[in-house]
Parts: sequence; C-alpha cells; structure tokens
Amino acid sequence: MINYDYAHPRTSLSITLSVWYALFLREAVTRLSAGRIAWVWLLAEPIISMGVMLFVFTVIRMRVVGGMTTETWLLIGLVSYLMFSRTAAQVQGALNANKALFVYRQVKPVDTLLMRAALEGVMSVLIAIVIGIGGTFFGVELIPEEPLTVVIVFLGLWLMGLGYGLVTSVAAGLIPKVGIVLGIVSKVLHLSSGVILPLAHIPQPYRNWLLFNPVLHGIESARLAVSPTYVAMSGLDISYLYKCAAVAIFFGLALHRRFANKLLAL
Amino acid sequence: MIIVDNIHKRYKTNHGLGKWVLQGVSFVIPPKVSVGLVGRNGAGKSTLLRLIGGTDQPTRGHVERLCRVSWPMGFGGGLQGSLTGRQNAKFVCRIHGHEEDIEDRVAYIEDYAEIGAAFDEPVKTYSSGMKSRLQFGLSLAFDFDVYISDEATASGDAAFKQKASAAFKSLIDRSSIIMVSHGESTLREFCTAGIFLDNGKAHWFDDINDALNAYKESRQK
Repeated sequence: MINYDYAHPRTSLSITLSVWYALFLREAVTRLSAGRIAWVWLLAEPIISMGVMLFVFTVIRMRVVGGMTTETWLLIGLVSYLMFSRTAAQVQGALNANKALFVYRQVKPVDTLLMRAALEGVMSVLIAIVIGIGGTFFGVELIPEEPLTVVIVFLGLWLMGLGYGLVTSVAAGLIPKVGIVLGIVSKVLHLSSGVILPLAHIPQPYRNWLLFNPVLHGIESARLAVSPTYVAMSGLDISYLYKCAAVAIFFGLALHRRFANKLLAL
Repeated sequence: MIIVDNIHKRYKTNHGLGKWVLQGVSFVIPPKVSVGLVGRNGAGKSTLLRLIGGTDQPTRGHVERLCRVSWPMGFGGGLQGSLTGRQNAKFVCRIHGHEEDIEDRVAYIEDYAEIGAAFDEPVKTYSSGMKSRLQFGLSLAFDFDVYISDEATASGDAAFKQKASAAFKSLIDRSSIIMVSHGESTLREFCTAGIFLDNGKAHWFDDINDALNAYKESRQK
C-alpha cells in the first residue's frame, strides 16, 4: 500500500482540471491507437473524401464559382465545414462513448463533451493545415488574403459545432429516437451551408431563408477571406455566427446543468 | 461516515418512468463499520451502491459522504475496452489527481493485478476475471476510507479471491467496506453490520447475521 498526504483535499477546480487533462489524453490515445496506423487514416479520410468531391466537380466541368476556381471554392468550403461538422458529431456522440467513465464521480458528462471538442479542434486545424499546404503544392490557390478573418471564422465554426453538440447530445440522450431527426437536420444543415452547392443565385425569398443558417455565414466568409474578389452571398455577417454559437453554448451548458443527473444514468 | 437521507430512486425506461427501486431509504454508516447488502436480484442493491458511490444521483433525498469513498468496483465498470490496462490505470490515476507519482501507482496496479503481458493489451480482450483483478488493483492504489464492492471478487479464481480477502483484511484497520455479495461466508467474514433491501425499503441490522436471517425468512414466505 502506498501512503500519501491527504491533509489538503483538492479544490473543485483542481479536480475538474485533472479530469479534463486525463480525458483529453484518453480521447487522443483512443483516436490514435484505434489501429496500427490509425493516425494516418485520421488525416487520410477527410483528404480522400475531399479528393473524390474535387474529382467529381471537375469532371462535370464546373470551372468557376463566383469568380473563384472550383478547386479553391470547394476546398475552402469543405475545410471550413469540417471545423463545424466534425466537432458537432464528436461532441454529440461523447456521452455514449464515455458512459463507462461516469462510474467515477469526478467525471461529469459535460467534461467529456468539452474535451472531445478541444481534441477535435486541434485535429481539424491539423487537417486544415495539411490540406492548405497540399493544395498549394498542387497549384490550388488556398493562401488566404486575410488570414486573421479565416482564423476568426474557423474559431466561430468550431464554437458553433460545440454549441450544436452540447444541445443535441442532451436531446439525443433524453428523447428516444431523436437521433433519427438529428440525422436529417445535419443533412439539411450541410446542404444549406453552401459547401457543395453554390447558393448565391438562389431566388428570393429563399436566399434570405438560407441566411438563418449560421454555418453558411462562416463558410461564405471564409471564401471571401481567401479571395476578396469572390462574389459571395449578400448579407453575410460573421458576428451572426458568433451570436448563434454563444446562444447554443449557453443553452447547451444550461441543459447539461439541468439534466446532469439524468444524463449520468443513460 | 456516510449519511443516506430518505433517498428515492427510479429510472427512466422505454415506457416512461419506471417503478420505484428505492423508496425512502435512510441510514447512517458510522466510520470503520463494514456493511454487507443483501436482498433478492433486482432489489436495488447495485443501485444503492451506485448512489452511495456518487456514480448516480437519487431522484429524491441525498447522500452525504463525510470521507473518501471509492467508486463501485465490479462487473468491469469504469474500464474503457479499447484502451489497454495500463492506459486505463493512468486515466484513473490522473482523475484522482496523481500526475506526479503516476509511475509508482501504475507499477503498483500492474504488480497487484498479476495479469502479465495482458496489462498492455486492450481491456476488451480480457476475461471477466482479469477485469476484476485490474479493477481491484486500481481501487487499492488509492487510500479510500470506504471501499465499495459490487461482487468485485465474484469472477476471480481461487488465488485472486485469497489475495483479495487478504487485502480486505489488511484494510480493515483503517478503512471499511460496503459490499454486495451472494456468498454468505464472504459477508460474514468482512462485514459487521448488514442492510436487507426489500420492496424498496432498507432494514439496518447491527449484526450481519441478523440481516442474513431476515433475508432468509423473507425467502421462505
């Protein structure tokens, strides 16, 4: 038996910080050790899927979108959407994947979500950098004219993904079959975000309806930041993305606080 | 000391709220008193252990832990299948705030579990006996005042059971145990007091033998 000094009990903050640290490392190890070369697939999977999209788009000979080459338009859209979608999906699934750990009362359900979002943010940035360098190497114009705006947009999309995941994780956990609805919602979000479909020329009033989607604001703003001559959708507002993210995060955290006990018993 | 104050518990099922598992359970476990929980399958023994351990929260009422209480050990809970025994051990050390002496503790757990090279294999490849060895080593690596065991040794082999019982005995001077076991001799060996769970109510007995007798009588009815 090893003996220790327990004269100073840990504060709530130090417990939470050590739980976050442990969860972050645990998530990272789980993702990286899922197979012999799991880390290769982690990068290869999004890159290959983007390559396929690129191939399909160039085959149907779409050359220019809004004054931007299709390659640039598509890659910026896909990478930006990644910031939102990967984070959202990972955070939404965090409760299910970490059930076993709720045995330890130090681990709160919301901790696992926050750490997944953090890890996913780091990985999405890595993927974005690899694609940025790789694309530039193959002659696609991906170096942004306004790098700071891109950083702000990516951060906003990541926060939006976190907020979305916080809310949907509670909904999926507490309401049966809501997962099916969420699957449809994410499809609608994907199509209405202008990732693979150019939306700038959709007739009114439908175009204004699309502007309710905060992710669309982020993606079109990212394209505009890469090339200021890009003819983006009118009515873009990065602050709208941040406002939606803030509302979603606070609502999600409130839900987690309200239903903390029910989520433990999932 | 652990104070359980008028707790009620029911779970959500696929058809709305389930029936009450625990209905107004109150008792106080004094320091250094080991308690055995008895009752039929489904009487709420594991639920009560989870509530005492803080893994789950009661629907009504509250539990006060005025000491360091372990998590409920047993049935391979708290282990991540895709990670190795070592990685799981590190995780548990970290959440208990032992980043500095993590090497010592992991070494202690590895040594105690005696599962050899499997310590570096994913936990999902373990047999249930190996899982309980690992879990047991995990909880012994920390100084708790109260250890919670939900049939923690049930799936171990004879050698492990012997080792576990020696460990329990060495703990008795400074810690206590709250255990669920269907082995009467195990309960008699380690517990002084007993709780008999029946129809959502808990009956406290200062002597474990009385609790076992009450349980037996209820079965004969």
